[in-house]
Amino acid sequence: MDVFLMSLPTILKTMVMGAVPILLASLGEVFSERAGLVNIGLEGVMAIGAFVGFAIGKMTGNLWLGLVVGMLAGIAVNLLYGFCTVTLCADQVVTGMAINILAPAIALFGYNLFVGSNPANATGDQMASLAIPGLANIPFVGNAFFNQTLMGYLAFVLVPLVWYFFKNFRFGLSFRSVGENPQAAETLGINVVRVKYLACVLCGALAAAGGAFLTLCYTPIYTDGIVMGRGFIALATVIFGRWSAVGVLGASLLFGFFDGLNVALQAQFQAAPVMFFKMIPYAFTIVALLFFGSKHAGPKANGKPYFREMR
Amino acid sequence: MAKKELSAEERQERTLSILTPVVSVLLALVIGAIIVACLGKNPLQGYGAMLQGSWGDASKISKTLERSCPLIFTGLCATFAYKCGVFNLGGEGQFIMGGCATACVILGGGIEGPAGLALGLLAGIVVGGIWALIPGIMKITRGLNEMITTIMLNYIALYFMEYVYKMMYSDQGLPKTVAMPKSARLADLAGTHVGVLLAVVLGVVVWYVIFRTSFGFKIRAVGMNPVASRVNGFPVKRLVLLAFVISGAIAGLGGSVELLGRTPYRLADGFGSGFGFDGVAIALIAQLNPIAAVVVAILFGTLSTGGTMMQSVIGVPTAIMDIIRGLIIIFAVAGMAMIKLPKIRAFLTNRKQSKKTEASA
Repeated sequence: MDVFLMSLPTILKTMVMGAVPILLASLGEVFSERAGLVNIGLEGVMAIGAFVGFAIGKMTGNLWLGLVVGMLAGIAVNLLYGFCTVTLCADQVVTGMAINILAPAIALFGYNLFVGSNPANATGDQMASLAIPGLANIPFVGNAFFNQTLMGYLAFVLVPLVWYFFKNFRFGLSFRSVGENPQAAETLGINVVRVKYLACVLCGALAAAGGAFLTLCYTPIYTDGIVMGRGFIALATVIFGRWSAVGVLGASLLFGFFDGLNVALQAQFQAAPVMFFKMIPYAFTIVALLFFGSKHAGPKANGKPYFREMR
Repeated sequence: MAKKELSAEERQERTLSILTPVVSVLLALVIGAIIVACLGKNPLQGYGAMLQGSWGDASKISKTLERSCPLIFTGLCATFAYKCGVFNLGGEGQFIMGGCATACVILGGGIEGPAGLALGLLAGIVVGGIWALIPGIMKITRGLNEMITTIMLNYIALYFMEYVYKMMYSDQGLPKTVAMPKSARLADLAGTHVGVLLAVVLGVVVWYVIFRTSFGFKIRAVGMNPVASRVNGFPVKRLVLLAFVISGAIAGLGGSVELLGRTPYRLADGFGSGFGFDGVAIALIAQLNPIAAVVVAILFGTLSTGGTMMQSVIGVPTAIMDIIRGLIIIFAVAGMAMIKLPKIRAFLTNRKQSKKTEASA
């Protein structure tokens, strides 16, 4: 028990850090799925965001510029997904898979050019943590929650905003109607195609921001496969979170907790086969899905192509 | 099954479904060339080097075929599953677990010779099947999305393999297993190993099973419309589960073949890396036709081995080949969707009809 208490601050710190990229990506996916688009290409969009954020941040020395350009790159990639699924009515899963293959390839190619030309580019800069005076000194939770990077705080601030948007905004309600019944939404004068494209833009920006967090705040390097399945974990958190921003926050923190547990166990038992600890977040995803993943939840028209002509 | 007369529309559909992937490949190569040209390199020289490096002489051909071999297996794995409406993204995990099972049987059991080979391959098939059975059971009982579960199982398999090559059968503490004994390896065949032939034969067998047997018909029926299949009395859940297991077994066999057929005959970091997603891409580009999947897998193998040569000749990173691969799949997906759009469809039929009226006039 003492051991657990001793490593609790580490666990909590890693939990919050690990939750942010998943939280950002899954908030993006909430927008996407609320508009009826299941985007399994999150993994690829995150990879693009991670690389572009890293490269631009390193080149200009301005990490926030890196984040913004990374988000723009994510939007560009996700608009490709939007064009295929909304305009061409392609299968969403298949298109998402194509994005998962194409986007990391572009990122890897860019990385090889960027670092190949100058090996000094391999390590980027990191955002500094901002401790909130007073709150940061609370035992256990203070350092974890109130000593983060500004980007981390912003991610958490997004949660109530997204929640409020869907709950109380007229546009948020019409947004949801597109995912539930696009035909009815269209007859009410909502431009379904435009809403779906807007969802793609938001999803691309948020997922890419989640990826950029990995290189700007988590580790200072980019490697192929840096996303490590977080895009797919984000898909799972959206299911546990029941497509709501607050639920997604809880689910992301839960995943972050298991990530933190993994890190703490690795530090504690260095002689043990640490690979089994590394399995924890992934195994937990499956276990959590077994208990909380219901097939009957979610927006009704999720995943279905919308043919305007066949109204 | 008797050959039935194809209507004009069906024939057109068939032509389009062959034409789309071909056009996608060409378009992707053109865009790849533009990227190369933007870097100030000569794309023609680059593609020349690519062909030279993959099909230039006998040893390069065999290298290309060896590189394509695992991709054929994972491509067939994805094809079979998707024919039944199952989106198995776990080809990589099943492939890795197949390799691990083979390593455990041969190194753990100390079995050598043909017995080791046979048992090793069998273990790969069984464990690959089991690794796919897990998401299968979760799908049919709890309705879990197999895309998420199979990806998670990929990472678990990856770390399990790390355990095998670092802790269980590590070669003098290095992060790789001891090499498989010579007597248990796959036999050589014209510069490559027998596994390549096995993969191609498997492609034909899978094609036969899917398109020429009643079992395959049921699998396809479930893939097209599970509700209608259930109404028709097909055991949908059992068929879905079988699709998982068979597709996993194919990938697992691929892992065993890779381990026993290709140098360095060891498990190490990077074994099977990316093969699962490549397999899905292959299946989609091949329009879920197993024989086409073999061809596309060989194309992917060509891109991989040729990419290395291209890098050394004109100095463009090999990742350009990954981009080309990604572009092929996105063009193929977009193209297939486009020709199904009502507008484009109407345009195509109209053109055909106006041609007909012109001819009759």
